[in-house]
Amino acid sequence: MKTQTLTQSNTFKTFGFALVFMMTLFTFNATFGQTNETTQERTITGLVSNEEGPLPGANITLDGTRVGAVTDDEGKFTFPKKLKTGDVLVFSYLGYETQKVSITDKTSFITLELTPDMVEMIGAVDTNKPYKSKRKKN
Amino acid sequence: MQKTLLLLLLLFLSLCRLNAQIADFDHIDFKKADSIALSLKGENLTNLPELSFKLTSTLNTDVEKFRAIYKWVCDNIANDYSLYLKNDRQRQRFKDDSLKLDAWNTKFRTKLFSRLLKKKRTICTGYAYLVKTLADFANLECEIVQGFGRVSTTNIETLDLPNHSWNAVKLNDKWYLCDPTWASGIPNPKTNKFSFQYNDGFFLANPKLFAVNHFPVDERWWLLDDNEIPTFDTFLKAPVLYGNAYKNLELHNAPQQMHHTIKPHQKVVFKYQLKNNTKPENVKLGFDNGFSTWKDQPTSISINDKSLELEHQFNQTGFYDVHLYIDDDLISTYTVDVKK
Repeated sequence: MKTQTLTQSNTFKTFGFALVFMMTLFTFNATFGQTNETTQERTITGLVSNEEGPLPGANITLDGTRVGAVTDDEGKFTFPKKLKTGDVLVFSYLGYETQKVSITDKTSFITLELTPDMVEMIGAVDTNKPYKSKRKKN
Repeated sequence: MQKTLLLLLLLFLSLCRLNAQIADFDHIDFKKADSIALSLKGENLTNLPELSFKLTSTLNTDVEKFRAIYKWVCDNIANDYSLYLKNDRQRQRFKDDSLKLDAWNTKFRTKLFSRLLKKKRTICTGYAYLVKTLADFANLECEIVQGFGRVSTTNIETLDLPNHSWNAVKLNDKWYLCDPTWASGIPNPKTNKFSFQYNDGFFLANPKLFAVNHFPVDERWWLLDDNEIPTFDTFLKAPVLYGNAYKNLELHNAPQQMHHTIKPHQKVVFKYQLKNNTKPENVKLGFDNGFSTWKDQPTSISINDKSLELEHQFNQTGFYDVHLYIDDDLISTYTVDVKK
């Protein structure tokens, strides 16, 4: 009984150490990998469309800056500044909902469909024409 | 004791809300914001994030940033009457058929945005939408308010579909109202074509004055205390206010109804809070009895610390349209039926 306990304890020690060692290794590895990716800047390209197909003239801006791109006749863009993980691109076009896309480790080509802003269009015209009562004609 | 404190706090908060208007920013000079808006006159709408950046990046306060955006929109976007009339006709046509109305709205929305982008012409919602979009890019909290607007030429007693859009904006944790469409201009009285004529009175206007001819569909946009919110019926019966009212008046206090029935030799009392003092001889009433029109001084007039009070006695029977003029600006209209 005693022996068995010892054996179990030893087994745990051996495997436990290996486990902790491996976990540490993975953690470091992961952290290292991420740091590497975050600092690694790359060119981002993409395609913007709406409900009808590719959308030319859509704006893509790096959040918080005035650096930006505009989609070409085929709805494609190449962002002028190299981007890193964590950067946020803002996609907009008049009449469509603005969308934000975060750059992840895997982002290199962004495909995005903008959806119309479902606002109801109405309008009343102001005037300084004096009000005139409708009167019965005699 | 705690109750008293709580009451005082509530009173203070409600006062804060009532004061949600341009007077809160008396210490701010909008010259810089206005000159930035002016320097960007003629810019197109193809890059809104960039336009927003150029309008706001050198300004320090949110109210100045919003001012530059609002002023630019008012000075650069024209009101498109043909679009307005077309939309109005179709909306009336489909008002009892929600599917067709939805289909029309979708089709019209696309057309409207394309017209705004290419020609910088639009109708109310386009103005409000553009103000909101540019404000969003500058990280300002701004909303489009949909509702009913009453002007002298709409069928003012039978408004049945929302017909107007304006904006609410949050500055220093308080909401304010403004109406970029009506601030941008009015039709030229001769040609009936839109002409730019900026009216500063609609910028962060007093919510109480605003409520006389703006009825929001969502009641959070009254920015009034609950007991001050009018019913739709009261709203439809209110006097007609013109754009110039916003230039000249702080408040329109009385009469609260457009129509009055009185007997000969009775008086109608008018009460206003002015933005600036004026001389009694600059205040006139215009009359139209269906046969002729004329202007006259009211029977009595008093101006006391910007509080203007008029009385007018009607001696002859008849049905009168009565217009208030201050410094030749048409302010408001009432109707008075004088009969025995």
